[in-house]
Amino acid sequence: MSTPPSDPMRVFDRHLHRLRRDRAAATVGQVAPVLEVAAERLLDRLDDLTRRFTRALDIGGRGVVAPLLRARGIPFVVSMDLSARMAALSGMPALAGDEEWLPFAPESFDLVVASLSLHWVNDLPGALVQIRRALRPDGLFLASLPGLGTLQELREALASAETELRGGLSPRISPFPELRDLAGLLQRAGFALPVADGEALPLAYRTPMALFRDLRAAGEGNAVLARDARIPPRALLPMAAGRLAEEGGAVPVTLRLLMMTGWAPHESQSKPARPGSANARLADALGTEERSAGEKPGGG
Amino acid sequence: MSDTTPEAAPSPAPTPGGEVDPALLEILVCPVTKGPLRYDRARGELVSDSARLAYPIRDGIPIMLPDEARQLD
Repeated sequence: MSTPPSDPMRVFDRHLHRLRRDRAAATVGQVAPVLEVAAERLLDRLDDLTRRFTRALDIGGRGVVAPLLRARGIPFVVSMDLSARMAALSGMPALAGDEEWLPFAPESFDLVVASLSLHWVNDLPGALVQIRRALRPDGLFLASLPGLGTLQELREALASAETELRGGLSPRISPFPELRDLAGLLQRAGFALPVADGEALPLAYRTPMALFRDLRAAGEGNAVLARDARIPPRALLPMAAGRLAEEGGAVPVTLRLLMMTGWAPHESQSKPARPGSANARLADALGTEERSAGEKPGGG
Repeated sequence: MSDTTPEAAPSPAPTPGGEVDPALLEILVCPVTKGPLRYDRARGELVSDSARLAYPIRDGIPIMLPDEARQLD
């Protein structure tokens, strides 16, 4: 039996993930089309705003997001990645940094974008608080994460193949968050006007092996701490691959994009009024008679 | 007072670690203490006196990772 990670907050092996990203810096270009589509879907939200941004932080954009931000006329775009090599793909200024240990002074940016990069973070609430602090008042945070349901087809194929081969399961695909968790997370981190929504990005691969190759090229190899450290049985991938492919060999893969939007609080933003601060009766406005619902505060 | 004017005299010897974007240097803090950093140009490091750590700079890219930093004694 493998020993469980001592800290329940630590799900991912950050060091291993950094090595994966270092290695993937040379190959991530192969998956640029997928990353670009995902980034464009996220940055669409910028195009709907009349606000102009001047200082942006790109977290984990893998050389795809920073050029898109610059193309939108943002003069100062800083790119950060856990891997220095991956960060360098975005052009300068770039730095190696950890979302769990953000190295920025308060109010350094008016825009932070994390396109498909926060799903390997152990302490997501902590990272969100740090991001909010790095934003100026009324600054915008935009992020997308793969959500629950992403790679579900692969998860099921691997699970059934592994159960058959080993009579047991080990986590081979990262746990993904659910949509309803995210707005709450943003709110807890102190963001104003938090919005979370989802979009499905259906992909089709010609062969299962092409999917495995792309995941590796993107640096998305398994970095779950509780992963099975043994070498997987030789038959695992081919067997899972056989279960994935539909007739004709094509492999349907769903990327469920969860998008998060939140603003650093500012007094100009609309807020709910304080309870009890109304100066007109709702019943009067509606022209009806006010009736008690039978509930009184203080258990009356 | 700041001595990082844009037209700073070019140093005769190349800076170890490469030049870091001055606008980036302005906003970087120590990831552990969030305290200020000192740019040690001669060694190509960003020094956090509060954390007793020196973060290396490689090819103009500051490596702001606590486990890559050099312990100061």
